[in-house]
Amino acid sequence: MSFESSARKVFVLKSELPPLWTLQELGSLDPETTWVWAGPTVAARVSAQFRYAQTTPGDPLPDRVATLIVVGGGTIIDQAKLRARDSGRSIRLIAIPSIWGSGAEASPIVVLDHEGAKDIRIHSKYLPDGRAIWPELAASIPPARAREACGDCWAHALEGFLSPLAGDDLRQELSDVMRSMLALPLANDPRWFEVGARACAGQARSSVGLVHGLAHALESPLRAAQPSAGWHHAKLCSLFLYPVMQWNRTISDSWSQKLADYQLDEAAIMAVARELFNPQTYNGIVPILAEHWRSVLLNPCTRTNSTLVRPSALDYFRQTFP
Amino acid sequence: MTNLEKLRELVIDVFLLDPAEFRFDLTREEVDTWDSLALVSLAVGIKSTFGYHPTPAEAMSIHSVRDVIRILSEKGVRFEE
Repeated sequence: MSFESSARKVFVLKSELPPLWTLQELGSLDPETTWVWAGPTVAARVSAQFRYAQTTPGDPLPDRVATLIVVGGGTIIDQAKLRARDSGRSIRLIAIPSIWGSGAEASPIVVLDHEGAKDIRIHSKYLPDGRAIWPELAASIPPARAREACGDCWAHALEGFLSPLAGDDLRQELSDVMRSMLALPLANDPRWFEVGARACAGQARSSVGLVHGLAHALESPLRAAQPSAGWHHAKLCSLFLYPVMQWNRTISDSWSQKLADYQLDEAAIMAVARELFNPQTYNGIVPILAEHWRSVLLNPCTRTNSTLVRPSALDYFRQTFP
Repeated sequence: MTNLEKLRELVIDVFLLDPAEFRFDLTREEVDTWDSLALVSLAVGIKSTFGYHPTPAEAMSIHSVRDVIRILSEKGVRFEE
């Protein structure tokens, strides 16, 4: 077993995109054995679209359920993965994301939040059996939330591409994904559903890095310190993408070279990261970042960053960004 | 800075050691933070510090600080006081 595959064994698994279903196909399943879970923001639309029994995510499923369609964000899709795979029953799981970014519909990863601590479970059984794209749901996402979700997609694609565990084939795939992303606005656009899924499936075959290490380590402390700020994973990934990529390329010559090797426009990518960055928000959380820096360093994502994150890197992240 | 000093600094940073904990005969079993993911960090750090990227087999064979010295010495990196 190679060093890279050994490291992947403990952290990530090879992941392919689940087959894509159409809404029409999903509408013609057996109503006796098909159940739907829908998040609160889309429940009414789901009721109008599907004639299947619909319950609140997390509710028990009758024994006759053979297919579970879940419509929602990453948290709800992850709940459905656990219910479909860990209940001791054989339930087909079809995931329809109500927002892009988490990539839960395309990854074998489940992220649980235990009183603020992230419990990340990785197993091929958690890859849904199918997925679908519902383009109209894009219009229902609040614009600021949609923009942050775009940042989450960028963090997956860029960190997966740069990962020391990525091979040439994966880098080629993710560079194609990023070229597609560069053509999209950082806003409500249903094309993000597909590129977001591809970015997430790609990073699941390598790893993520410091952007995610920061997001995972700081989400809980920030929620506690700033309860009204609405901190969540995508917001953190959007915020940290620019300073982390600036730092990566400052300390590593190979950062720019890797992008050039795959004909990626470094200036355009950094412009996107800068557009997602909010200096006032960042400067306001630096004290919390500094307080929890050791947790950031110990986070598994940080340890597979494209460049070595030394304790002294805190000095860089303490600076005031213009 | 000598190569020994660079290696000492690298190991302390990768495994988040207290400088007083460092020894050149330190082994994997003695360090709580020495896991597969830390080996990824170590390989990345060896490349950026010494300019040589360990092969997968070499990285997997690293069980001690001495192993790092052995691998790098075979590639011509000199570790003299």
